[in-house]
Amino acid sequence: MEKLGLYLGCNIPFKAPDIEQSFRKIFPALGVEIEDLEGATCCPAWGTAPSFDLDTWCTISSRNITLAEDKGIDIMTGCNSCYGVMNEAKHFIEDSPDRKKRVNANLKTIDREYKGTSNVFHVSHVLYEKVGPEKIKESLVYSLDGLKVAIQPGCHILWPSDVYPVQEKNSFFPTILKELTQALGADVPHYSRLEFCCGMGGMRSTDVEKSLKLFTDKLMSMKEEIDPDMIVTTCSSCFLQFDMSQQILKERGVIDFSIPVFYYTQVLALALGFDPAQVAAISQTPRDEMIAEIQSDKRKIQK
Amino acid sequence: MSEYIKLDSEKISEAVKTIQDFGGTGILKCVQCGACSAVCPGVKAGFPVLCRLLIKKVLNGQLEEIIEETSTWGCQACNRCTEICPQGVRPQEVVFAFRRYQANDLAFSTSAMTSQMNLHSYGHAVFTDATELRKKVGLPPEAPTSAYNEKAQKEIQTLLENSPMGELGLY
Repeated sequence: MEKLGLYLGCNIPFKAPDIEQSFRKIFPALGVEIEDLEGATCCPAWGTAPSFDLDTWCTISSRNITLAEDKGIDIMTGCNSCYGVMNEAKHFIEDSPDRKKRVNANLKTIDREYKGTSNVFHVSHVLYEKVGPEKIKESLVYSLDGLKVAIQPGCHILWPSDVYPVQEKNSFFPTILKELTQALGADVPHYSRLEFCCGMGGMRSTDVEKSLKLFTDKLMSMKEEIDPDMIVTTCSSCFLQFDMSQQILKERGVIDFSIPVFYYTQVLALALGFDPAQVAAISQTPRDEMIAEIQSDKRKIQK
Repeated sequence: MSEYIKLDSEKISEAVKTIQDFGGTGILKCVQCGACSAVCPGVKAGFPVLCRLLIKKVLNGQLEEIIEETSTWGCQACNRCTEICPQGVRPQEVVFAFRRYQANDLAFSTSAMTSQMNLHSYGHAVFTDATELRKKVGLPPEAPTSAYNEKAQKEIQTLLENSPMGELGLY
């Protein structure tokens, strides 16, 4: 059984722990052992150290990577931003022997050393490359057959592709999440703003109205072009944006609908038969009806 | 009436060097084609001084004039610009170098202070007490991260306090 270090980041353990629980349920069931990276910190988020000092960013990121190196395993993260921040830090460190020396001098003050022996993967990459859509398909208890899904891959697992250990064939037309969602039996039609930004992140904290403007464009593209039964993402920030902001737009009278939103591993956990009270229990946008639909008797796969 | 800019070669050299020193090493490769701005969600949302225009202003030596500009803080760090740039400028690195120039003069929103304080105290930029939420979904109340690990907190505090961030009086 392959073993990976579970790096939680900030959003998942403190705002959406049901996503964390979905990781803890599905990966052992699919043959991937996960081990906690005790004492891991923030990646650090773009608005913190990366906005102040490049070496400090690389030092804090590499401290997290040393936690996995100590165990001789790779890292798996469910947050796109953490994936981007830590892989870019690795790129900056490994691109410059001088920076590597400075980073290790910083780490020496806390008795650590960055060696560069652990890779940082995203949850979706582990599911796609190490588990594979076929195994996911074979493990299902419930099928999403006939349900229409709008997917939201998120930005930071796509660009800049030259620093990432796993790349899409064409990062402006990503297909990994599409194939993973199709493996559940769902229909995943294309919509024109597939790779567009949802407006979360620095934009939301700098100017919420601009963020909502971008979000509305994205949401309306999904609604008008494919009218999905649900939205599925592999980015915890995108999840929070789609979950929170639909309610804001509804209260303002901008939209008169709402579309249930899931992190991919939540919908997979439901399709594997896990308890919704553990793996999909926290959301502002209502999704109970969709959860009941997914786990309905008529969707049970006869084996 | 259009605004004329008086170019000053000394100011230009200083601006370029500042941005390069903060990490925007590819800035001189820019030919102002605008490919970066065409795919930038920040530009699309209405933050004007990002990507091409930010680079142009730096190349004109207008660093000090735009130190209070908030557009850079609307950058999503998505790196579409880096992916698409035909010249290898890596525009996001320039945007972040400019942010570092601003941040080191404390020219950023006070709302960004909370995340710096959280990072120092708990090791997390985003931290809320999620004990009840975690119990509700069947997880241990304390996440296995620095938030509940004194040794890890001490480590991050040592790293931050001994860094250039520690000299800014943020903590």
